[in-house]
Amino acid sequence: MSSTATTAIPAASAAQAPEKQGRRRVSERTRSERRLGWILAGPAFIIMVAVTIYPILQAFYDSLFSFRLTAPGERRFIGLQNYGVVFSDSVFWRDLGVTVLITVITVAVELVLGFALALVMNNALKRMRGLLRTAILIPYGTITVVSAFAWFYMFDINSGYVNTWFSWLPGIGPDFDWFGSAAPALFVIMASEIWKTTPFISLLLLSGLAQVPSELTEAAKVDGASWWERMSRVIIPNMRAAIMVAVLFRALDAFRIFDNIFIMTNGAYGTETLSLLAYRTSIGRLEIGLGSAVSVVLFLLVILIAIIAIKGFKVDLASRGVK
Amino acid sequence: MDVPYSPPRRRRRGVALALVTGMVAVAALSGCSSQGGGSGAPTLTWYINPDSGGQAEIAQRCSAQSGGAYSIKTSLLPRQASSQREQLARRLAAGDTSLDIMSLDPPFVPELAEPGFLAPVPAALAQSSTADAVEGAVKGATWKGKVVAVPFWANTQLLWYKKSVAQQAGLDMSKPVTWDQLMDAARKTHKQLGVQGIRAESMTVWVNALYESQGQSIITNPGAPGDQIQLGLDSPAGQEAARIVGTIGRDGLGGPGIATQNEDVTRQNWQGPDGSFMVNWPFVYTAAQSAVKEGTLDKSVLDDMGWALYPRVSADKETAPPFGGIVLGVGAKSRHVDQAFQAVKCITSTQNQSYYFVSNGNPPASKAAYDDPEVQKAYPMANVIRQSLELAKPRPQTQFYNEVSTGIQQRWTPLDAVTQQTPKETQDFITAVLKGDRLL
Amino acid sequence: MNALTGRQKLAWAVVAIVILLYTLWPIFSILTTSFKAPSDIGTGKFWPSTWTGENYQTIFAGSAKDLFLPALRNSIGISLISTVIAVVLATFAAYAIARLDFLGKRLVLNTALAVSIFPIISLTTPLFNLWRQIGLYDTWVGLIIPYLSLTLPIAIYTLAAYFQQIPWDLERAAQVDGATTWQAFTKVIVPLAAPGVFTTAIIAFFIAWNDFVYGISLTSTSVARPVPAALAFFTGASQFEDPTGAISAAAIVVTIPIIILVLLFQRQIVSGLTQGAVKG
Repeated sequence: MSSTATTAIPAASAAQAPEKQGRRRVSERTRSERRLGWILAGPAFIIMVAVTIYPILQAFYDSLFSFRLTAPGERRFIGLQNYGVVFSDSVFWRDLGVTVLITVITVAVELVLGFALALVMNNALKRMRGLLRTAILIPYGTITVVSAFAWFYMFDINSGYVNTWFSWLPGIGPDFDWFGSAAPALFVIMASEIWKTTPFISLLLLSGLAQVPSELTEAAKVDGASWWERMSRVIIPNMRAAIMVAVLFRALDAFRIFDNIFIMTNGAYGTETLSLLAYRTSIGRLEIGLGSAVSVVLFLLVILIAIIAIKGFKVDLASRGVK
Repeated sequence: MDVPYSPPRRRRRGVALALVTGMVAVAALSGCSSQGGGSGAPTLTWYINPDSGGQAEIAQRCSAQSGGAYSIKTSLLPRQASSQREQLARRLAAGDTSLDIMSLDPPFVPELAEPGFLAPVPAALAQSSTADAVEGAVKGATWKGKVVAVPFWANTQLLWYKKSVAQQAGLDMSKPVTWDQLMDAARKTHKQLGVQGIRAESMTVWVNALYESQGQSIITNPGAPGDQIQLGLDSPAGQEAARIVGTIGRDGLGGPGIATQNEDVTRQNWQGPDGSFMVNWPFVYTAAQSAVKEGTLDKSVLDDMGWALYPRVSADKETAPPFGGIVLGVGAKSRHVDQAFQAVKCITSTQNQSYYFVSNGNPPASKAAYDDPEVQKAYPMANVIRQSLELAKPRPQTQFYNEVSTGIQQRWTPLDAVTQQTPKETQDFITAVLKGDRLL
Repeated sequence: MNALTGRQKLAWAVVAIVILLYTLWPIFSILTTSFKAPSDIGTGKFWPSTWTGENYQTIFAGSAKDLFLPALRNSIGISLISTVIAVVLATFAAYAIARLDFLGKRLVLNTALAVSIFPIISLTTPLFNLWRQIGLYDTWVGLIIPYLSLTLPIAIYTLAAYFQQIPWDLERAAQVDGATTWQAFTKVIVPLAAPGVFTTAIIAFFIAWNDFVYGISLTSTSVARPVPAALAFFTGASQFEDPTGAISAAAIVVTIPIIILVLLFQRQIVSGLTQGAVKG
């Protein structure tokens, strides 16, 4: 992986400024270029906006009502009351806690695993690279629901073999019900999530690794720096941007975790996350008002995380691919 | 480069609209329409719950019998009862006209009947279909005194047991048995008592049966609006139910995987060496038979299989077994309500109900169907099932069934956490949810 | 590369095996489950006691045929169409972003970014209501449009990065050499851009293929229901029996296209994901 577009794509390196010419000409050219730009970028822009902005505005509007889909006649405006219910309920805080827990643990583990994978791929022999790439892309391409079923069937007390295989470990035996309580169930849920998404993070880190100037590492080597010193003093600091971007994208993704939990526990025994709460309230209970309030809160939290990361840690997201 | 349409000049909105309109046009042209032909016989869509193909077969038979008045095509609903309801309720609320016939789980009928999503059943059909149906099925098809759906098949749980284990435990299975006796027997023989402890609808099924077996209903004023619903959860019957459930959980009588044990896992575990008694639907019998046929289950297990009425809570009070099954509703916005009811009449004929039992293992709602010699031959326990259906009590009837049921499921699982406080906690929790004060 | 010592070789082999185990194990695990008979599921063993193809029989020719085959058709059709549309639109947009200076460029990029972090669960209910009203519910188009919101952002980003690296001067050089604008574009730029576009298409396809939330909320029949959503509709021999085997078989079937794509194009996909790297 040699050449990678690292910093700021597009926007920063705009087309060359038009040469000094007559003022009118410049503006004409600018105008036509601007028009062409919008002609080309417009359709994609409009679709993205239409599919997201409109529904979230609608959701915000709906969240101001007490509205149950099966009782359309009883719909009434209640202001921010739904938000009051959401924020005053321990279920919301528990689900938020679970969501944050999953996010923090999965991202941390993925970062370590992903970094190890990236190092391996970076240093691997030429003829091994194809094999490794193929191997790590398979989890990336696997459908999340398929991954969820695979992990579920592996661990399930009834259909799984993990209990038989690992019965020598303390606490695990044929009678251990992985999905019967929060901690082991979350363990399997996170394992599935980590398995599927580590490749993505490792590829982002790999491109970051490729950008570390080799002169620096060589120089450190010559100076007699140990492997660990080279890692912590040279390589990692130089990859800071790539790491931050990888962490942020994965964190925002993990924060929305839904498929794995829906398949494995459907939120039972303290494994519910905010996405699942939003789903169960608006689609399960058909409480459109309350469910929309949960949805809006989830949305605002995601935005909040993004803003904190971008402002606080100065992560330049616009410079990087997205999932 | 050619672009698909002209650039946005002043209003982006206009373009967005044009775009959406374009997409709609594409949708219309791509021929995704599911409507029947404009003239001639309408095609009715019957939304069916997953089964072994019986409903599709009945749909064909009735289409053929209709003499061209209609033809029925089936469309599958999800496996989970709660997901079936999500699909149907959302579409009915949106005024979907393609919902002609729907296979409905009875507890969800009130929610759909209350806002008028179900077309009123013609008086003659209401009369004829309920006259011969078992008690629970009639209740399940009725809302606020009106028949709003047509009973198709009825389900009930029996107590299934291994004759050898019953003998070992010294239980006389020709007499009614109680939960306490079963718990003792499981302790004595070191076997597992087969119950469903997963956080799912089956938990409500069990809890409801424990309440109803003591003559206590979970909702004491069915049909009341959300904020006026009176719950009977916090009651002496609740204490007794919580004692039974909690003891089974804490003493590990249900086996190690009880917290995730659904009906099918209960069946599989019962077939294994630790099986003793289990409460379950009659599919366990057909499943055991086919496992023997496939060679994966020893025939001796099937021969050892016994059945009886659902256990009692107290020895001197008749049991109230769980009630399930399917009733058929017709969408109020269907374009072919008349034909749909004709089709429903055909589908629910006694003959088709017997066929469905024999071929798919789902017991008829019609009492007469049990006299069918084929039914008697295929199901030696047919009479016990009929008797159980007569005693069975449906789950609470309310338009807020989902809230009530989910509330129970959340508070009564895991089983070992159920204590004497559980009934009161459940009652307070559901009350708060119904008032809109809490999330679920 | 220097010749490796025996120990280094061994170390690399061990590393490779560990990584292969890690990445392939769950797939392998569900593969063996898919060959188990229903009564063989609860044995606690990894390998089937007897290998049976009955689960594949069930989904391709048996009781789950009418559920699985239309879902497979829908998944393939919807994912391909939304991939093509996303790539075409993203190519235009990325070209504009990489080559043109226009007001709002930053807006387009930031929108793509915002859309890519959107919690899509928040969108399902409003979209459901809108789709009901305009007749898009349970149609291919009704899924293709939301899928575009998933695929467009990454497609725009990947392609913009890619186009950024294309030596556009070649175009002018060709024109100087007497080629027309169109010739310069098709003979010079298209061959340079094509690999990036193709890579983007594969990544977009993966994302569309993966969708579950839209699939379960915006469809209701086999007219449009994609495979991930259809897995929740499988059933065993009767209503209460667990469809473990059939789900596993279907899971394997929908993973096969992914494996084929990965085997054929691993190099391009990796470079696409690590952004526009031209050389492997």
